[in-house]
Amino acid sequence: MDQNLARTYDYEVIKKFTIAAVIYAVVGFLVGVILALELTFPELNGNIPYITFGRLRPLHTSAVIFAFGGSVLFATSYYVVQRTCKARLFSDFLSNLTFWGWNLVVVLVVITYPLGLSQGKEYAEPIWPIDLLITVVWVAYFINYVGTLAKRKEPHIYVANWFYLAFIITVAMLHIVNNLAIPVNLTDSYPVFSGVQDAMIQWWYGHNAVGFFLTAAFLGLMYYFVPKQAERPVYSYRLSIVHFWALSFMYIWAGPHHLHYTALPDWASTLGATFSIMLLLPSWGGMINGIMTLSGAWHKLRTDPILRFFIVSLSFYGMSTFEGPMMSIKSVNALSHYTDWTIGHVHSGALGWVAMVSFGAIYHMVPRLWNVPLFSTRLVNVHFWLSTIGVVIYIVAMWISGIMQGLMWRAYDTFGNLSYSFAETVAAMHPYYLIRSIGGVVFLAGALVMVYNVAMTLRSATPATSTQAA
Amino acid sequence: MADNNTVGTTGHQWDDDEGFPLQEYNNPLPKWWLYSFWATILWAVVYWVLYPTWPLADGFTKGILGWSMHGEYQQEMDAAKAKQKVFNDQLAKLSLQEIRKDNQLWQYAISGGKALFGDNCAPCHGSGGVGVKAGGFPTLADDDWLFGGDLDTIHETVANGRTGQMPAHLQAAGGSFSDAQVNDLTAYVLSLSGINADKTAAARGDALFHGDAACNACHGDKGKGSLKDTVNGQPPPPVGAPNLTDKIWLYGGDPGIVRDSIAKGRTGFMPAWAKGSKESGRNLDPLAIKQLTLYVHSLGGGQ
Repeated sequence: MDQNLARTYDYEVIKKFTIAAVIYAVVGFLVGVILALELTFPELNGNIPYITFGRLRPLHTSAVIFAFGGSVLFATSYYVVQRTCKARLFSDFLSNLTFWGWNLVVVLVVITYPLGLSQGKEYAEPIWPIDLLITVVWVAYFINYVGTLAKRKEPHIYVANWFYLAFIITVAMLHIVNNLAIPVNLTDSYPVFSGVQDAMIQWWYGHNAVGFFLTAAFLGLMYYFVPKQAERPVYSYRLSIVHFWALSFMYIWAGPHHLHYTALPDWASTLGATFSIMLLLPSWGGMINGIMTLSGAWHKLRTDPILRFFIVSLSFYGMSTFEGPMMSIKSVNALSHYTDWTIGHVHSGALGWVAMVSFGAIYHMVPRLWNVPLFSTRLVNVHFWLSTIGVVIYIVAMWISGIMQGLMWRAYDTFGNLSYSFAETVAAMHPYYLIRSIGGVVFLAGALVMVYNVAMTLRSATPATSTQAA
Repeated sequence: MADNNTVGTTGHQWDDDEGFPLQEYNNPLPKWWLYSFWATILWAVVYWVLYPTWPLADGFTKGILGWSMHGEYQQEMDAAKAKQKVFNDQLAKLSLQEIRKDNQLWQYAISGGKALFGDNCAPCHGSGGVGVKAGGFPTLADDDWLFGGDLDTIHETVANGRTGQMPAHLQAAGGSFSDAQVNDLTAYVLSLSGINADKTAAARGDALFHGDAACNACHGDKGKGSLKDTVNGQPPPPVGAPNLTDKIWLYGGDPGIVRDSIAKGRTGFMPAWAKGSKESGRNLDPLAIKQLTLYVHSLGGGQ
């Protein structure tokens, strides 16, 4: 035990990102609840343009994916890379640049989206000056991460770092290519691609944002925090290698399944579908490795709610990575596309997997970062149940609503005329929108419990205890 | 699964300063995982042979099934159109009244009319024609007609549209009556529907209604509207003046709203939907207009 080594780690930037993650979680979920209610009761937007669905929706997705998810990934990757390399982060300047730069991006997004300033590309809405800032922050992140790996004092690079590195490199490539545009003034630009090529680039980006931001990176997180919390070795080293390379190779081809039955040529569509099917087992590799790591330690689930977060998140991960390839098959997609089923699928991944594995990691890190025990383990358990129940209510409502919607859209009467008008399908979805809102409120309530628990923990951390480990 | 401990770890170790150090077992790939992975790859290869998949320098591999997304769409559309052609030919040939008498043809027409109505008419008239709010859009599911509820009149309304013009009466809004007079007229109109109003005001309104304001010229002597009433024994002009005695309100029956209608006037507008009409983007072909007519006629109040 080399306590001197531990003291050389840069925990300050991790603490800042962790606090940011906790705050952004609540903000992102709250905007989500507001949107769910606006869909249920459209008059709630009060005819105020800044809070209409079209402007708030990208704010919700960006807040949960990039503000919350991004902060979790910065925090955990900096935590993991230092501890598994036994080395301080490469550069304090770059660490701070990533923190303040990323938060400046978030602030600019919060200002520009409600004003209606958007590129109109899903998950890539920021206007070009913000895109440039993101690029600067991301390059700083890359240098800082690789620099730390380079000066590691361990002979081998731990598996979690491969996943984080794949995430950093791929997101850089996706971000740059999808945002290639010619500015015409400070807020507007034209994309260099047009028509179906632009759509294909957008969904190559969009799907791999899911694949590398929300999957690969969080698998990296999983590979550190699950064995550490379970106090068990990772189940299979070989599986981790094989599924890492298979996942990285397969994912990048799967984007076209977002564009089935569009202007996209048949061949690209088929290719995307088949690679999505081949992606199933590589995705499951992470789930197997995570869940099997607990073999021999199952009894810990009875007493450790943090481990419960991990195991349930891996279950949701396995479920949504099964559902995804199914939905990419054209005949299934013909029913599911453009319906709420997609929304349910995304949230079983985003809430069930990404958010819950993040909560586990936050609860694991906070006591170690501030060097005080967690304020309340019981409240972690309360949070766990609120999250689980919230997700289940949400996705069940969206499954029913989405499949019903798809079936109503394609229903014909005996004369070959459509049985339902669009407005009738909207009216039929109303009760499920209300149920979905309730699921969202329950999930948000869980996040508020986390805020309280983390805040009380931090209060008990005296300056002396919190700097001891820093 | 085999007991993890029997296979041993790779011997590597990380993060051993605090807590349990990170290690990795040497477990092999789970067999079911590996075989399933191969199965998905095999499935993909079969799929590539069957369907269009790989881009070539000049085009792409077409797949042995000869399937294409556009082909599938065209096939389904052609089949549906062939099925409907029998009916459509009849629909084009026969008059509205003849279609109404042929039960199967009528069912076909209102099934198409319902779909057309949902996409084109429901935003104003509500699903099934039950009305949205009292926003000047008549309910079509009752028998309270403005211009007429027989097939030919409905057809004319749908095809060529309608305008309903109620003039403003208040001086401030360009009319020729004072505040007090408009209040009196309001009291009278409300009393026609049996809504309690100041009786003396209503009496003054009555005199105006049939006198200086000449409301009866359009709404009729009894206020029953251009379809059901008479003026001096003659039918009023067919301008779509509503019946004021049936408690059905086009813009709402609150005293304030009724007063607004009288004071500022109203302009009701139903666009023309037939192909070739002045309105752009509302190019419904004659078959669609016929189907819509029969559907609206079937909603409850067809005459």
